[in-house]
Amino acid sequence: MSGVMDCKHARLEIGGEPHALSAEVAQHIATCAACAKFRDETLAMESRLKSALELPLHHFRESPRKLAPRRFALAASVALAVLVGGGAWLFRPQPALAEEIVEHIRHEAGSWQAHDPVPPEVLAAVLAKAGVRYDPHLPVTYASPCPFRGHIVPHLVVQTDNGPVTVMVLAHEHVDTYAQGTFSEGEYHGILLQAGSGSIAVLAPKGQELDGALKELVHDYP
Amino acid sequence: MNTRPRGTTASSAFARLLETLRPDLVRFAFWLARDRAVAEDVVQETLIRAWKSREEIKDPAATRPWLLTIVRREHARLYERKRLPTVDIDDVEAQGDPALASDGDAGLEDLRRAILKLPDEYREPLVMQVLGGLTTNEIAEQLGLTQPAVLTRLFRARNRLREIHGLTPAEDVE
Repeated sequence: MSGVMDCKHARLEIGGEPHALSAEVAQHIATCAACAKFRDETLAMESRLKSALELPLHHFRESPRKLAPRRFALAASVALAVLVGGGAWLFRPQPALAEEIVEHIRHEAGSWQAHDPVPPEVLAAVLAKAGVRYDPHLPVTYASPCPFRGHIVPHLVVQTDNGPVTVMVLAHEHVDTYAQGTFSEGEYHGILLQAGSGSIAVLAPKGQELDGALKELVHDYP
Repeated sequence: MNTRPRGTTASSAFARLLETLRPDLVRFAFWLARDRAVAEDVVQETLIRAWKSREEIKDPAATRPWLLTIVRREHARLYERKRLPTVDIDDVEAQGDPALASDGDAGLEDLRRAILKLPDEYREPLVMQVLGGLTTNEIAEQLGLTQPAVLTRLFRARNRLREIHGLTPAEDVE
């Protein structure tokens, strides 16, 4: 021991906060070779410790996750392009589904007022929660993982040159080609499209033309 | 006609900050959860929540500790919500988790394994301090502990790691 602080307490501080030692510990170290050595060893270990904690993320992502994300590239989905490009929706979608979608949109009316583009990291996070990916070429100003029919679904507002549209990615809602199609509910109109094993809903307020937005949003839209 | 809105400068700056900080958030979440998939889920929740609450942040310098706090809370919430099984660290080791790989530096990989084996009560403040850059007072506040208690946990964490580093552990403190 030297000075007013003993070695035990000096080492407690060194081990607890090696980069911010108090004046008392500094004073102790100046007169205690053993504690000075302990401090030097701790500081040497500290740089290794920092390196150890800074995991290389390229290794981190080596193994695939348990659930491989499905691809729903709204702008360039081959599956979607074929279905939409291939033709026509002859029947109305299930009315109950369309009604529930519009009801959900009404509860998040503020989403239409969002103007800041959602950062790619946030958008990816929202979509990943539903197990889907999207490579956006249009700004997304609202992205939220929303509970819908017992699942978490991405609810997006995409800014097109023809105005904002709401897109809901319904990975768990299968609609067959006969059930997909346009719908009109209250103050909104929209379209429900089959995509992969699920579907996507695109909506806009009535009075806002939807066809132009769909051409921007959906590759090969007729 | 182009009707697309542009983001505000503040939001653009915040978006860039999220992009910059994301890797450390993933690492931080991994050291808490010891599971890569859980860490990714936690960070996804964190980013979504942070973006929704971005107006709360007035000082950009406060963003990092704020995000780390959200990671901690989301990690706790995830276990509460999903009742996830706790990670058996022997399983993680046996599987040779690539997250711990170190490009040929075996000593570093050993150190990572040793950190993973630390009890939560020691590992968490250590990661908060070294990776998160938090002071002992900030850690104490977040963990609901006194500053001396945090100091003791940090000392014990490093003391356990000294041996793997080829150093003699110090005498423990009461």
